[in-house]
Amino acid sequence: MSTKPPKDHFNILYFASAGSYTSKNVEALPAPLPLRKLFDTLEERYKGIRASVLDHSLVTINLTYVDMPEDSAEVDEAEEVVIQEGDEVAIIPPVSSG
Amino acid sequence: MATIDPDPTPAQDPSNEPFSLTDAGCFVALTDFPLDYASITDRVRSPQAGAIVIFAGTTRDNFANKPVKQLQYTAYHPLALRTMLSIARELKTKHELKGIAMIHRLGVVPVGEESILIAVSAPHRQAAWRAGEEALEACKDRVEVWKLEEFEEGEGVWRANRDGKVGERVG
Repeated sequence: MSTKPPKDHFNILYFASAGSYTSKNVEALPAPLPLRKLFDTLEERYKGIRASVLDHSLVTINLTYVDMPEDSAEVDEAEEVVIQEGDEVAIIPPVSSG
Repeated sequence: MATIDPDPTPAQDPSNEPFSLTDAGCFVALTDFPLDYASITDRVRSPQAGAIVIFAGTTRDNFANKPVKQLQYTAYHPLALRTMLSIARELKTKHELKGIAMIHRLGVVPVGEESILIAVSAPHRQAAWRAGEEALEACKDRVEVWKLEEFEEGEGVWRANRDGKVGERVG
């Protein structure tokens, strides 16, 4: 799908409306990054993406769906999901096969 | 058979990941080429089957009476294949199918052509009818494939099966 991210980075894939909004299919972002900070990070780069795309999209890390933690939730460091160097993250908007 | 075999040099997949997955009695694939009824049927043919049901999804020339010029499908290949295989396995067990095969076309699909073919075989027709319908509904719900409708007026819209509404405008 995409080339390996550079050192200390992960790849994020943007499908469908996410790709239209960012005008790219993939980019490398700095790792590690706690999952709960992902949407803030993207919102900083692409103003308005949270409301128009992310709020009704799902997220995968290395082909597995992950729950997006609440911003306000107490952080238990042992259980915190952190995106690691070399990971492949994807923004999955509502699908439309068939 | 060539149309459903993995393309050795797929244009959209520089990493050369396989475009199909198989498991006992299950076959799922993505392709950039036109779909072929005979080859998908042969994937599920069985001497123990008394019925093969085939579903073909074709691309419509309008959405809410707006003329559609062409449709384009894109996929998260490895995840879409994984999801398709998991749907196939679930339905094969649930309906005691002899075989189930699903293939989705990607890229530009001209209006009126097949975008998805599903074939299921079972000892008796009732199970085959039901499994065929459930397979299509499960695909539309879950498989990581997206449809971009390009209208005659020039704009493009990502469709969302979930609500049947127009998605975000892209042009």
